[in-house]
Amino acid sequence: MELRTTQGWVFAMQLASVTMIWMFVLGISFWIIHLLRLSRELNDIPSASLAISMLAIPVFLLGASVLTYVFVGLQRGRETLGGSEGAVEET
Amino acid sequence: MSRWGMVIDLDRCTGCGACISACHQENNLVAVGEEETERDRAFHWIRMLRETSDGPSGASVRFLPQPCFQCDNPPCIRVCPVHATYLGEEGIVGQVYSRCIGCRYCMAACPYGAKVFNWYEPEWLGDTEERANPDVSRRPKGVVEKCTFCHHRIIIARDEARAAERDLKDGDVTTACAESCPARAIVFGDLDDPDSRVSRLAGNTRAFRVAEDLGTEPKVFYLSERE
Amino acid sequence: MKTDETTIERSDFQDYALIRPIEEGGAGFRVAFTLLTLVLLGGWVLFSRQILYGLGVTGLNQPVAWGFYIVNFVFFIGISHAGTLISAILRLSNAEWRRPITRMAEVITVIVLAIGGFHPLLDMGRPERLLNIFTAGRLQSPLLWDVTAISAYFMASTVYLFIPMIPDIALLRDRGVWPHWFYRFLSWGWQGTPRQVAVLNRAVSIMMVVVIPIAVSVHTVISYIFAMTVQPGWHSTIFGPYFVVGAIFSGIAALMLVMIVMRRVFHLESYLKQIHFDQLSKLLLVMSLLWFYFTFSEFLTGFFGNEPSEMRVFYYKISGAYAPFFWGMVAFNFIIPVTILSFRRLRTIPGIFIASSTVVIGMWLERLNIVVPSLANPRLPYPTGFYIPSIVEWGMFAGAIATFILGFVLFARFFPLISVWEIQEGREQSVKETSERLKGYLPDEPSAARVR
Repeated sequence: MELRTTQGWVFAMQLASVTMIWMFVLGISFWIIHLLRLSRELNDIPSASLAISMLAIPVFLLGASVLTYVFVGLQRGRETLGGSEGAVEET
Repeated sequence: MSRWGMVIDLDRCTGCGACISACHQENNLVAVGEEETERDRAFHWIRMLRETSDGPSGASVRFLPQPCFQCDNPPCIRVCPVHATYLGEEGIVGQVYSRCIGCRYCMAACPYGAKVFNWYEPEWLGDTEERANPDVSRRPKGVVEKCTFCHHRIIIARDEARAAERDLKDGDVTTACAESCPARAIVFGDLDDPDSRVSRLAGNTRAFRVAEDLGTEPKVFYLSERE
Repeated sequence: MKTDETTIERSDFQDYALIRPIEEGGAGFRVAFTLLTLVLLGGWVLFSRQILYGLGVTGLNQPVAWGFYIVNFVFFIGISHAGTLISAILRLSNAEWRRPITRMAEVITVIVLAIGGFHPLLDMGRPERLLNIFTAGRLQSPLLWDVTAISAYFMASTVYLFIPMIPDIALLRDRGVWPHWFYRFLSWGWQGTPRQVAVLNRAVSIMMVVVIPIAVSVHTVISYIFAMTVQPGWHSTIFGPYFVVGAIFSGIAALMLVMIVMRRVFHLESYLKQIHFDQLSKLLLVMSLLWFYFTFSEFLTGFFGNEPSEMRVFYYKISGAYAPFFWGMVAFNFIIPVTILSFRRLRTIPGIFIASSTVVIGMWLERLNIVVPSLANPRLPYPTGFYIPSIVEWGMFAGAIATFILGFVLFARFFPLISVWEIQEGREQSVKETSERLKGYLPDEPSAARVR
């Protein structure tokens, strides 16, 4: 099947996309933490900052985690053999 | 630490507009021109409001020169997304022109409409730019600005006082508008100094502040027999 | 849930109508794409004028410092609630009629979030200083809450759109549709094995629960931009729920508009049937009444309080310069939709099209009525402001709408607008499952034989 020959680099692209999403999510989380530290320096009203970050960071992490779960789950649930990509399990 | 405030005596104000002209000269404000004024973009750091009212002796007009009130609890600084407007240690609400992103949220949040925006690049007529005040920075298009209580004058006066090894005393520094008023209606000074003219006048029975119930704690007091 | 379903190889595939536009392409796509791109480019040309000369090219002034860009920002993000309500809530409540609708709803959400989220950038006086938000941002500013909430929602809704798309992408991959590498890349190795199906369903279940509070918080936070100031007409505690209700309202209307248009263009009449529109219309009717209730509460409270600055804004809207927009909004949001949607004889596809269009226009007018009158009526004795949008603002509004349609056209070119696997699942499994579920609602038989 055609799948076999291009599986290698397609898998690499998919992995790269998941990695990029994690970079994005971690970037946003670090940015929010940076702003939190800034607001403490400037003596801003802490409540708003804490509430926003406590809600936002988990949401971003959850989104990336769900995507990763799907990615890993789909790879592991494959039944046909593929070259160098993820683990293959017998169901 | 000083806490700068202003008192404006409405019973003395004639509405001549000298304060506006002086402010323009001092702070490098450029006139926007007739066409832009028609589009409601008149550009002043201190503006002249006109209040008409009907009294027992017929209609009367009162002029209210309105600079930025330099609130002690400013609604504008709470909404700025980049900390471009801030409350300084001496009570002056500052504006960092180089950080302002021009979102105009502070303009929408100010209950007094004290902030103005550079809709276009300021256009100096003729060679007036050569006579600009070097102590005040120029603003590009797309940033918000407002009255600064001539902050640059305070810095210069403080430097001179320090050089002469004395403290700032009442009357050492005054704003351009206060200096130019022919009726001497505007008084500027340190509200934390109980002996300053400003403090004594602010405690006058004629004194009131605009929209005090909003809790903004403005530091510009008006004196008037009415209201 | 799904049986061990391998890829469909039959060329007389039962739901071929759903993927024909992708496999066969067509001149219609090229024409639409060209026209829309031209409008979009026009919008960008006008925007470049604004970059060059400054925001002075708009109709904004003192005191009306906010206008079309902020109105459109709120408007487009408001429409994004289409995806959440339909997709998430209907999935959660096992409403079977959502099957042909969820994909379009989710696509609307992602596109309008991108457009709406971009609008504050268009409104900035110094857009090149955007990075200041990242280096010097203040979390106490409602605008920063917006940035955070909208990015969270955009991420969540993109994930929520993508995951249920995987089986359909795999279908296109296996049918060898061009571009092959694209579908292979996006399908993430889907084969339809039971394990994969379980993973997918679990992921969708998590997302559909998570995306609802995020969506509610997004529009609440947008309302806080206005409600957190002390301006008359803005400083109202009802704004949070009001905006959410308005967003769901405009979202359903936009969804139905899109459904009607796509149904006609792609001949999906057998998938988007009268019953689907009936159900959505009932929802739209309820939202219209709810919207009216909130609006009435808002204005009655203001009127009764009789506070001078509030009353200036109030009369400006009711009988002043903004009266045509205000009463237009009431007519478009309440009178016309309720009339049309209450009577079955009027609830035809053309009737629903009219009702949905008026709601979309009416909700845009509502955003306008919120933003401008409070700014035009300052507290101090300053003359009442006015706002006449310029060609730049109109052009960029047109560009934004063109972007929305273009996004849809592009999506429809490469992906099925109706979720093929969910339709198949509905056909093959849900009929039985639903009848089992309904029997479960009925009282139990006294005899030993329990129906399971």
